[in-house]
Amino acid sequence: MNDMSWTPLGPSQPPPEPPPMPVAFSGNRNEFFRLIVRGAGLELVTVGFYRFWLATDIRRHLWSNTLVDGDGAEYTGRAKELLIGFLIALAILVPVYLAYFLAGLKAEEGQAFASTPLVAFFYVFGQFAIYRARRYRLTRTVWRGVRFWMSGSGWIYALQSALWGLLVGVTLGLALPWREAALERYKMRHSYYGDLQGSFEGTGWEFFKRGWWLWLLAPFALYLTIGAPFVYGAYKAIEWRWWVSGIRFGEVRLESTLRRSALIGLYWKVIGWIALLGLAFLAYLALCVFLVASMDATPIAEFFKTEAFAKSIPLLVLAGIGYLAFALSMNVVMRVYLMRDLWVRVLSSTIVHNIEAAANVTARGELANALGEGFADGLDVAGF
Amino acid sequence: METDPSEATSAAPSPPRGVYFDGMSSKRRVVALTLSDTLQIIEDGEMLAGWAYADIRRADSPPGLLRLSCLTAPALARLEVRDPQLGSDIVARCGQLEENLPNRRGVAAIVGWSLAAAVSIVLVVLFGVPLAADRLTPLVPDSFERRLGDVADAQVKVIFNAKRCDDAAGQAAFEKLVGALRESAGLDNSVQSGVLATPIPNAFALPGGKVYLFDGLLAKAENPDEIAGVLAHELGHLRHRDSMRELIHNGGTSFLIGLLFGDITGSGALVFTSRTLVTSSYSRDAETNADTFAIETMHRLGRPAKPMGDLIFRVTGKEGGHGLSIVSSHPLTEDRLARMSKADGAITGAPLLSPAEWQALKGICGSGKI
Repeated sequence: MNDMSWTPLGPSQPPPEPPPMPVAFSGNRNEFFRLIVRGAGLELVTVGFYRFWLATDIRRHLWSNTLVDGDGAEYTGRAKELLIGFLIALAILVPVYLAYFLAGLKAEEGQAFASTPLVAFFYVFGQFAIYRARRYRLTRTVWRGVRFWMSGSGWIYALQSALWGLLVGVTLGLALPWREAALERYKMRHSYYGDLQGSFEGTGWEFFKRGWWLWLLAPFALYLTIGAPFVYGAYKAIEWRWWVSGIRFGEVRLESTLRRSALIGLYWKVIGWIALLGLAFLAYLALCVFLVASMDATPIAEFFKTEAFAKSIPLLVLAGIGYLAFALSMNVVMRVYLMRDLWVRVLSSTIVHNIEAAANVTARGELANALGEGFADGLDVAGF
Repeated sequence: METDPSEATSAAPSPPRGVYFDGMSSKRRVVALTLSDTLQIIEDGEMLAGWAYADIRRADSPPGLLRLSCLTAPALARLEVRDPQLGSDIVARCGQLEENLPNRRGVAAIVGWSLAAAVSIVLVVLFGVPLAADRLTPLVPDSFERRLGDVADAQVKVIFNAKRCDDAAGQAAFEKLVGALRESAGLDNSVQSGVLATPIPNAFALPGGKVYLFDGLLAKAENPDEIAGVLAHELGHLRHRDSMRELIHNGGTSFLIGLLFGDITGSGALVFTSRTLVTSSYSRDAETNADTFAIETMHRLGRPAKPMGDLIFRVTGKEGGHGLSIVSSHPLTEDRLARMSKADGAITGAPLLSPAEWQALKGICGSGKI
């Protein structure tokens, strides 16, 4: 900011100065909504292949509207990279699935359902994919003409993650904060902005201190379903705050002031919308059954009794279309609330200290390929 | 900003300004811009870069900011212009500004290619997979198929929570019945069979030569020919290696359809529905072939095939008349019954089981337990 000395003197100077807050979001919500709706429609038309372009557009929107110290970030990834990553991942995953099938067969020979532990292998593989996908996204993140990048090994991360996961299982979730801290430390230690190395200063104990009561509440929340969004919302808020507050890049320090209750509303909005959409879907289904039954001249009661409804082609087609519309609108709701709005809430509570330390950072780091994203897509563990 | 006092230019009004990042460091440089034959980026009177207009591309930026990159500059070098007047001046000079951004034509290409991919997958599912299943099935070694059968066997017993019935007299009658059918059908004695104590009225064949009859079906049967027909039908599946073929067919179809619907949340239901539509038409063919096999086998023994149709009819009731039954995995029961009665000639063979043996078979799982 040191050189930003020009002051608008002339009359024709409407463009506003960058906001004074260290971190801000300049995106328009309606614009994002239009982007998502259009993307959902195209996803339908392209039987899902548009997902690579939609994911890229979402990231471009979120990244470029995220202003740190007045300068917007930039996402330089392109959908074609994701598509190629997916295709390569497919070429690798298909033989792996086949080998998995054969190994499962061998195991089942001894005892029925003995192949279940092989699922563990896919868990580890999924963790590897998560690490590599993060690396791809990070190397496509640019701020002030310098990219972020990542070193480290996806397999070491996956191994750590799996062992910690085991511990979390054994301790019924109590070890979760320490697992997250350890994994974050590994990820951040191997993250860089130019020649500025990252680190993570959050500790498991700190996380535990803030969230232990949620651990006690969780069984009740699961039992009384109504409590689950409160507990989960509070948990996510605590996690975000702890995570953001632990991030360091060289001397640059992040801090979050996110309140515990900040995200609960978002989850309730999503639940409300899904309930509404579900009702609309049911009403549509009932209408379809009625229409098809009256076309068929079958009394509704008999229609159900003879299970003819499960075999009627027009009904199946109508239900399929309705289901697609339902799934897509649910996607829109989740992306608007749980991606964009969540992003904005977390950002608006984030403070960057000592940003001057990033004023003259030398560019370094190579681009990573999108294979990890492909695996994450193939294994359904994709993040943002 | 034309009269910025901090700029030490002498006579001419100071040129318009922007912010420049050189892509080598994160240093933020306030630069002067001159729009001559190239876009000249000048800091403190020293020219940092000259960008040819044809090489300039737009980069993503927050609203109210024009952010530019240049093909011949370092990949991450960025020039940011906030002044709308200057911005539109630059945009007017750059012919290929939007070239690397997704546009309408690009979206049309994505849609076109996706549809082409979808059509090709559908064609492969409809024609390629059945062909592959037919060709691959004979190549699968028997030992592998038997191993598959053992796996399925273990799972079936867990799922139905069923035990094999082993009443001695009933077992003897059952073996006599299966033996007669097996010989008539020309199958070797690797065929294993048994009765499971489950009230569900059904029978099925597993890969590797296993035939199971459920006690529930036995309870509904009125004479040995009914059960014999059903067993002959299942032996037909074994003879045609239908379960192996179905496995390859189902696996391939699920995989391809899953590929097609990819990411749309909860597409599992859709995948399931469309798979049902595709595989059931295929399995209807297999069922018709197994019926043919059963009819031939029964006739070779001089026994009628119609009782099998009667038994199935008793279990399912009349099926037709309610819309199209394109999704059902078996042909309509009444059609099967009609076909079997039409095929039957005179009964020439001796009964397959004596009345006493038939009673023993009916009681194989312990009478009155189910």
